[in-house]
Amino acid sequence: MRELATESSVLTVDTAPPAPVLAPPPADTPATARPRPGSPPRRVLRWALIAVVAIVMLTPLYLLVLNAFKDQQDILASPFGFSGGLTVDHLVQAWSNPRFNIAKGYAITILFVVLVNVFSVFLAGPVAYVIARSTRRRFRVLMLFFLAGTFIPSQVLVIPVVYVLKTLGLMGTIPGYVMFETTLTLPFSIFLYAGYIRTVPTDIDQAAAIDGCGRYRTFWQIVFPLMRPVVATMVILNTFSVWNDFVNPQTILGPSSGLYTVTTGIYAAVGQYQTDYTVVFPTLLLAIAPLLVFFVIMQRHIISGLTAGSTKG
Amino acid sequence: MNRRGGLATAAMVLPATVLYTVMLIVPVGLAIYLSLTDWDGYSADPAFVGGENYGEVFADPQFQQAAFVTLLAALAGTVAMNLLGLGFAVLVSRTSRVNSALRMVLFYPHVLSALVVGFLWGAILGTNGAINSFLTSRGAEVLPFLSDPDWATVTLIAVLVWAGFGVNTVLYVAGLQTVPQSLLEAARIDGASKWQTFRHVTLPAIAPVVTVNLVLSLITLLKTYDLVVSLTAGGPAGQTQTLAYLILWNSFHDGRLGFGSAQSVVLMVVTAALALIVTKLRRKADQGAAA
Amino acid sequence: MRPARTRGGRHVVPVVLGALLSISLTACGGGFADEGGEGGDTGSIRLLVNITPNLTQDFWEDLVAPFEQANPGVDVVIEAPSGKGVSDTLQQQLAAGDPPDVVETLMADPALAPQLVDLSGEDWVKDTPLVEQAALDGKVYTVGVGEQAQSLVFYNKDAFAEAGVTELPSTLDGMTEAMGKLKAAGYLPLQTAGDFVTGLQLLQLTDPALAADHENWHQDVRDGKTTVGESMLPYLTLYRSWIDQGFIEKNALGLKYPDAETAFLTGKSAMFIMGSWFTATEAKADKDFEVGVFPAPVAAGQDSPGAQGATMAAPYMVMKATEHRNLATRLVEWLVTDEKAVAAQLAQDGNFRTGVEREFTPLEQDVQKILDEAPGKVAQGEGYGDSTLPRGFGAAWNTEVQGLYIGHTPEAVAQAVDSWVSSHS
Repeated sequence: MRELATESSVLTVDTAPPAPVLAPPPADTPATARPRPGSPPRRVLRWALIAVVAIVMLTPLYLLVLNAFKDQQDILASPFGFSGGLTVDHLVQAWSNPRFNIAKGYAITILFVVLVNVFSVFLAGPVAYVIARSTRRRFRVLMLFFLAGTFIPSQVLVIPVVYVLKTLGLMGTIPGYVMFETTLTLPFSIFLYAGYIRTVPTDIDQAAAIDGCGRYRTFWQIVFPLMRPVVATMVILNTFSVWNDFVNPQTILGPSSGLYTVTTGIYAAVGQYQTDYTVVFPTLLLAIAPLLVFFVIMQRHIISGLTAGSTKG
Repeated sequence: MNRRGGLATAAMVLPATVLYTVMLIVPVGLAIYLSLTDWDGYSADPAFVGGENYGEVFADPQFQQAAFVTLLAALAGTVAMNLLGLGFAVLVSRTSRVNSALRMVLFYPHVLSALVVGFLWGAILGTNGAINSFLTSRGAEVLPFLSDPDWATVTLIAVLVWAGFGVNTVLYVAGLQTVPQSLLEAARIDGASKWQTFRHVTLPAIAPVVTVNLVLSLITLLKTYDLVVSLTAGGPAGQTQTLAYLILWNSFHDGRLGFGSAQSVVLMVVTAALALIVTKLRRKADQGAAA
Repeated sequence: MRPARTRGGRHVVPVVLGALLSISLTACGGGFADEGGEGGDTGSIRLLVNITPNLTQDFWEDLVAPFEQANPGVDVVIEAPSGKGVSDTLQQQLAAGDPPDVVETLMADPALAPQLVDLSGEDWVKDTPLVEQAALDGKVYTVGVGEQAQSLVFYNKDAFAEAGVTELPSTLDGMTEAMGKLKAAGYLPLQTAGDFVTGLQLLQLTDPALAADHENWHQDVRDGKTTVGESMLPYLTLYRSWIDQGFIEKNALGLKYPDAETAFLTGKSAMFIMGSWFTATEAKADKDFEVGVFPAPVAAGQDSPGAQGATMAAPYMVMKATEHRNLATRLVEWLVTDEKAVAAQLAQDGNFRTGVEREFTPLEQDVQKILDEAPGKVAQGEGYGDSTLPRGFGAAWNTEVQGLYIGHTPEAVAQAVDSWVSSHS
């Protein structure tokens, strides 16, 4: 999701402000004035389609939950149903796996998510403000400079990054990892923030300046509070990308730091045992259950927040 | 701008710029430099070999296969994810309970991470997986989802699409909700059919959203790595390796960091070029929407 | 571009960038073969090990516990690979400047040697298995616990009886004939798999035949007397014919190593080519038939039995960068000479060492007999010591051999392997 920044927008940088990519969704009234589902056959078709897609999307989840409670023989004999009893033995085993302490994995990943989000906002906000409020060419060039970063696949970048972090003495450390992950969030954050700030009237800044506010304070005290939707969007995006990242923590944290995220922990626990379904299903279930529950509870905010912030940018 | 203002500006611009430079621009420069050497990753004396690695990269059959798979996945996946995304967005764009539940159902794989998705589908589609266990218990033949190269490539792309099109759907829903009510109303009064309205009113109006989605899918798919690790491990017979997978394999397994870096540089160039091409092609449509 | 304006700030970015680039580039060229230190009698030793179904993390922790008890203040930290395996992980750690103190599983090669402690001066290395064969330029970098016999064909005795195979095949033609009978009796004749298994099995199977034609195959390949593809072509052709005749399951690439073990041990297939460590798996499995073993057959006209592919079991290397060289060396000495530690490792992974008595299963006795009767022992895969193939050969060979399943001709596979070897030499 980090790559949401697009070249289409790159090309509009010179003609600030960019055209709105997505406009605010009206609160209640459905804008796409589709008449209520029409003739009966059409309705049947619609429901059939919904049923099919729901089955395709949810079957893996069903298999995951069901088979996490079964023995290997049972899983192989009747993967979609039951032929023997259910057991929590394998879940207990997965929970107490010495190679992947799920609680520890969660704690570390949440720490990374929080740190990266905080640093990302702290670094990207001010520079986006300067870019948005300046007509100088050098800041437009700076915007392009940052945007170029969206085209660089981080999986490929991680190898040279190892040497940079090593030179800085930060390989296998939390600061090193957080620095790199934060950097990966910068290009798109700056792009989105700058687009949003351009929609904030400059009168507000000028009024603040008259009140004796410096530029720095004007941003944090006056402009930043207005940026809540766009910051929310970025936080959601960055949370997904940090949470789901695999190759970067795998490479930068390595085995000797003793640090693992949920994804690298899953890899350590499952990677070598892919044929033992009594390891695969319970481990995956335990590893994703809290996140899924969180998602289901927060889904309205997450899905609307995801798009709300890009409404003006 | 007075001196204090200049200092404040510098304080606002420099931290992000310096970090970005050190962690992203320097590594890119380093990758370019390493691609001109034969370094193995730790020895003391990497030799400068000029463009030799690049020559080898393009002659390498594994690279050709990986480039083919990567491009196929990126192009086919982009088309599929956007057709499905737009189609389902139309289907679920009205605000209702069922629709918001459906959006969640379409979107949730994105929460799981590609690594988990791969392990999960591997347990379903493997030779001993859920589907094949079910088939063999009914006396049917095993389906080679992951053991035949053509099947495995299609499986990989299908799972990529499964896991990703929910994101497109959500973005398209947001886009559809921006289409002015008045335009749709006017089209209806003019007697336009639903398809005509969609084709001539809705689609042009959401052109920028389409571009965003196309480029987003393309860039994401071009760097497919995690799913290959957990679903196919590049097999069978190395036929489903993607470029990102091959690069890390060459660099760390075979100890050919220079060679791997040359492949990285190629992938970066291809990604940027494809994204630019798509944007150029979409430029007219985007401008039409802005007008 | 507009005319440049004269504000100093403009040049800050390029200058900073240039400076940083040059710093990191210098760091690269500077080399990383750090010399560590001898260290004292206490500290923590990082041991990077291979984790397999036999060799679990718990096994390793238990294995080193007595060493820790005997040496107060010493903590042996078991590190499991974070990458695909020990090789990838070590490579990443070296790149990160953070190698472990001791590495298990890998063999020294010329690229790795500068990173390793030369153990030639230690007295105790002389009596460890295969130590001379594994030496590089006469220097000992790798010492092991035992030997793994590689060229073994495990078979289902019931299946052989049922199919009327009364005499164990001693030639590859005889093996093909037996497969025909086994297939007619309703068995899958030969168990193969995807994963790393495909290429490994073909190497294991062909060690004896190759050894009969080439006294030192690896050296001959390096010297250009033959190529991998040229010498392997007859066997690639044979393997392909087995696939075509249905002696090997055409969907086997979808199976992983443990799947293959399970399929054989549940009686679905009649033969399974694997190294001696399979005996440890066999000993633990519930099954309703007896497993036998015979040495991999030779080609027509060669003496049977042929040489046995043999590799060092649980090889250890001490990294030069270690801060605790003395302690790390003592740990390795203990791992490969302490009677109990050696016996535990041999038993856990089904390996052998001349002169070390341990309780054998009947199948292990058979393997020991095969080892005793083998006229010679040959290196396998990338090889070891002075005659090695380029690093990554095993994986590349595996990938190409899998091509036989998906329609590649034996000739194409042979050619692809040769072009890999020449571009990596």
